[in-house]
Amino acid sequence: MRAPVCVTVLVWLLSDARQFTEEEMSAVRQRIKSMFYHAYNSYLDNAFPYDELRPLTCDGQDTWGSFSLTLIDALDTLLVLGNQTEFQRVASLLQDTVDFDIDVNASVFETNIRVVGGLLSAHLLSGRAGMQLEPGWPCSGPLLRMADDAARKLLPAFQTPTGMPYGTVNLLKGVSPTETPVTCTAGVGTFILEFATLSRLTGDPTFENAARQALRALWKTRSDIGLVGNHIDILSKKWVAQDAGIGAGVDSYFEYLVKGAILLQDEELLNMFLEYDRAIQNYTRFDDWYLWVQMHKGTVSMPVFQSLEAFWPGLQSLLGNLDSAVRTFQNYYSVWRQFGGLPEFYSIPQGYTVDKREGYPLRPELIESAMYLFRATGDHTYLQLGLDALESIEKITRTPCGYASVKDLRDHQLDNRMESFFLAETIKYLYLLFDPAHFLHGGAAEGDGSWEEGGEDRQCVLGAGGFIFNTEAHPLDPAALYCCSRHAQDRQELRDILLSLPKEKKKTRSKPAAKHTEDPPHGPSVSIALKPGEKKTPPLLSCPVQPFSARLSILGQVFTDNT
Amino acid sequence: MLRRVRQSSLRQALFLMARRPGLLCGAVLLGVLLVLAVKFTCSRAKNVVAAARPPVRFFSAEAPIVDLYLGQLDQVERLRSVAEVSLIFFYAPWCAHSMAARQEVQQVAKKLAKQVQFLAVNCWWNHGKCRKQNRFYQYPIIHLFYRRFGPIEYKGPYVAPYVESFILRVITPLTYLPSRDALKEFLSYHEPRVVGFFQFNSSPQPPGYMTYLSSALQALKRDFRGVVRFGVVTNKQVAEAISLKEDESVYLNRRFNSSLIFPRRERNFTSEAICSWVFEHRETVLQWLQPPGTKSRLLEHELSKGPALLLFLPHNPLGTKPSPMLQQIADIAVRYHSCDNANHSSSEETSPPHSCCQSVPLPEFSARVCEVCLRLSPSSLSSSSVRCSFSSTTTRGGEVFQSHLRHCCLHRLPAASLNSSEGCSHFLSSYSPFSQYSACCREVEPQLNQSQAKEEQAAPLPPPPSPLAPSSQTGGGITGLRCHTNRTLRFYVLDVALNWPLAERLGATGNRSVSPHQGAGAQGDGSFATIVHLKDEVHYVLHRSAAATLTESLEAFIRNFSAPHSLLQRHLVGEEDRTAGEGETPHADTQQPPPRRFITELTTSSFLPCSHGRGKGCAAVLLHSVVWILLRSQPRPHPASAAVAGKRLRHRGQGECCP
Repeated sequence: MRAPVCVTVLVWLLSDARQFTEEEMSAVRQRIKSMFYHAYNSYLDNAFPYDELRPLTCDGQDTWGSFSLTLIDALDTLLVLGNQTEFQRVASLLQDTVDFDIDVNASVFETNIRVVGGLLSAHLLSGRAGMQLEPGWPCSGPLLRMADDAARKLLPAFQTPTGMPYGTVNLLKGVSPTETPVTCTAGVGTFILEFATLSRLTGDPTFENAARQALRALWKTRSDIGLVGNHIDILSKKWVAQDAGIGAGVDSYFEYLVKGAILLQDEELLNMFLEYDRAIQNYTRFDDWYLWVQMHKGTVSMPVFQSLEAFWPGLQSLLGNLDSAVRTFQNYYSVWRQFGGLPEFYSIPQGYTVDKREGYPLRPELIESAMYLFRATGDHTYLQLGLDALESIEKITRTPCGYASVKDLRDHQLDNRMESFFLAETIKYLYLLFDPAHFLHGGAAEGDGSWEEGGEDRQCVLGAGGFIFNTEAHPLDPAALYCCSRHAQDRQELRDILLSLPKEKKKTRSKPAAKHTEDPPHGPSVSIALKPGEKKTPPLLSCPVQPFSARLSILGQVFTDNT
Repeated sequence: MLRRVRQSSLRQALFLMARRPGLLCGAVLLGVLLVLAVKFTCSRAKNVVAAARPPVRFFSAEAPIVDLYLGQLDQVERLRSVAEVSLIFFYAPWCAHSMAARQEVQQVAKKLAKQVQFLAVNCWWNHGKCRKQNRFYQYPIIHLFYRRFGPIEYKGPYVAPYVESFILRVITPLTYLPSRDALKEFLSYHEPRVVGFFQFNSSPQPPGYMTYLSSALQALKRDFRGVVRFGVVTNKQVAEAISLKEDESVYLNRRFNSSLIFPRRERNFTSEAICSWVFEHRETVLQWLQPPGTKSRLLEHELSKGPALLLFLPHNPLGTKPSPMLQQIADIAVRYHSCDNANHSSSEETSPPHSCCQSVPLPEFSARVCEVCLRLSPSSLSSSSVRCSFSSTTTRGGEVFQSHLRHCCLHRLPAASLNSSEGCSHFLSSYSPFSQYSACCREVEPQLNQSQAKEEQAAPLPPPPSPLAPSSQTGGGITGLRCHTNRTLRFYVLDVALNWPLAERLGATGNRSVSPHQGAGAQGDGSFATIVHLKDEVHYVLHRSAAATLTESLEAFIRNFSAPHSLLQRHLVGEEDRTAGEGETPHADTQQPPPRRFITELTTSSFLPCSHGRGKGCAAVLLHSVVWILLRSQPRPHPASAAVAGKRLRHRGQGECCP
């Protein structure tokens, strides 16, 4: 909304360390910036144009393809940190150097979230970065064309009988005939944000249709108790790995159902998620941990917490399910405090890492959840986690060139890798956590910079209503989607309504409601008073009521779920 | 790192070559091989790993703390064995909490280094003995040892005064009570007190004494504040004051029920047994709460017991005596819980404070008197010769008296004359725990009017027909209220500095950057009081006017809550901002505008006036719906903010609060 409550809440000066003052937060932001530039400059100096920096040997390597992945991924982080000039330089550099007509086998999923997502958000932010804009921006532009180009290379993977995509595609030749048909669940259901954005911006519905087809196909394969496994054969629709949970292999599928529903105001996606959520809460949740269960029987198969699962509290907060989110977050936070990072697998009964899964590749998920929960609650516990993360990463993983993944959290041995999501996500969320007035949070101070204009005849209002982050933390602006897809049409309708208003009052009132079928059923004259005995069901895409105890759940205090 | 090694070795080789050219060929060959080998391994970098850096000192060298940064646990044992009291600080060098606590511990160490051995142990380094023998789930951890007794884990906040006060408690777990006066004073506090009687005349140390002392240390494990105090009496005459006759007996002082003596025959005389016996049978009228900061259900556990009065007070754990404010509240809590008051129980400790009063007829109003009472706590009454003296011959007493008279009867009467239900006001001009003035304006019966000065025991008025109507209550109107009402309150105290975020959530206002001890819901002393009723989903906030004292307003607050039809206004989130915004003149050129809520909690009664043009709050509500209806995907609220919106837009039981 407008300037959020937290902005002004933060100005208190308190003796207790639990409360951060504006000065402290600004100091932390500076530290995060210098962390970013240490890693970013090391990449440019030692690794560019490879995909990733290797921080122990100070050189680069290609990992997910060969398209300077770290640079594409980090591009919008530059703008988040306020560096417009470098953003402009890199954006033009990428336009000149990156080529997707290469004979490389690339992961469809990773290419989508990192490359397509990165380019889309860079495109949407290029107005704020002060770049030269094409007249039709945000509905056209060089970065959008690049994103379109990259996404088009992925489309052959969707050409399957079921509509679910292969996991890997050759960017030049399409799907290899020997390609395995086994794909992870997230690899099937993590396209709707980028693909719908592409479709709505360019007007070409192919992408959104492909993503929706895959989602619907996947929805039909869920088990009788409403769960999905984590690997599926996309040709036979058989579940190859039947562990159901919210972590690796599944995580971003659920994330995209929720975020897709919000971005596109799509109740179909939200209904899918809510149904999954019921099953997840029913079968996998124990003491606010989420375990892995057999997808058909619901029996516990792995009592572990995975680092990737830490996105879940943030996702819950997007739906207003704060009390449950807070409790789960506290569980995960306790694991962080035990090791100074989240191990890939953490055995809940043993309270320790799992063999061969002790690493922490600088993942962002817990920080991401902290950011959402701080936005929703204003509780400084989440800032404290941010500070914990900052200190740990600096103390444990900093090397002379960049930041190294932790190979083993038990002794903090380092690995020779710095994944591109460290710059794209970890640092971005950390920075946004400590900058509650940031424009990505949906408008800073009212007035300058809280929105911008765009579209045909500069008629659209952009960036005024908050952003949706894809699973690689690339922000997408819902207003831009609206601007390029429905804005002109709606304006025309509105004009018709206004012009015909005096003549046929009755008709006009029902007209817009009939056209916008996906609208929540609100009329301008809905009465707020309830008749006795009437029960009002809230519209699906609205926020639920918080329990009374929510006002007391601060400072680590949690309350039992009464539902 | 690797590169640096490579460079330095190359530099060395070049240096050698310059001196002995014969080596050149071999060196070049070797160098090429080396470079090739490095290049080869690096290009297959999968197996390049780096061990964690070896640990370094965590504390600065000046700090009087032994920093065992290699986790040498055996050193800990050695150093601990020679010290009377030692503190061990287990840390992880990467942990932000350890870093923050480091400052605090350092501060305490500078003060107490002479009495306490401070040890810091890196319990993270996996080659260190500490890590090998312990598994901690979080850092830092503080353990204390009193000689061989321990570890006593510190569970309080990592703030210097709290840590220091805890250490002081460990250093002197027992209070020596040499005289009857000391004993009286020791027992006069509202907190649980334990007294042990040990005669030291026979042997240098009675056998049970160490057990008793460890039970005091044992209690510190459960309660880092050391609320339960343990005293020791060695003199037979002193012990007789609390009718302890047998040597090596332990006495638990209680106010409302009879005090207890540890049943040595039924229970083993061990420190654990004594400690659990004390915690089982103690009386608590006022309980400290301190959320630990990690996931906990402390508040839920306490609040689900029933309605709770949460008092947020400034607190200095190092103060030798409880602050005056805390004493006043303790006094209220004790009176609230004193149920047998009407029967005038014989026990001296349980009886309410004595009062002596003087009625002063007011010249302007013939039917009214002003009654000024000096309330005396029992111990002072018995131990000293304070009389009911309002004589204006002692100038100071006269002054106090006059000022009270002015305060109560002359200033208040015009208002009170309209409403004769004026209760008593308690004053605190100079606080002494033993005496307190109060003044009541009363409609007087003729026969009462004649008594000029009378000794009374806490106003034995006829029991009011409705026990709760505040109009029929006078001085100490909440005495024994606990037993008259079915809405029993529990009293909780929280340190406002540590729990300000919670207070703020519950409606405490005040910009604490101006002064830490100002604002806070119009309470100039930095305190904040609220009643939370979890089951009914309501909470009330005490709004104090500048004229009323803490005791006065708190008593009225409690009385109003206890009334069958609660006289209090439910606190709604956001309401005080609106009223404050209207009442206050805005600061000229404020750099920091006061925190503004954008969403106000509404009920049906407040919705209509608000929606008809008055409220900014409603604009938000309407904005919410307008966004969804008309503008659709244009300025869409951030979902998380909308979640906050949802939280505030709570269905309130009285009707739908928002569209």
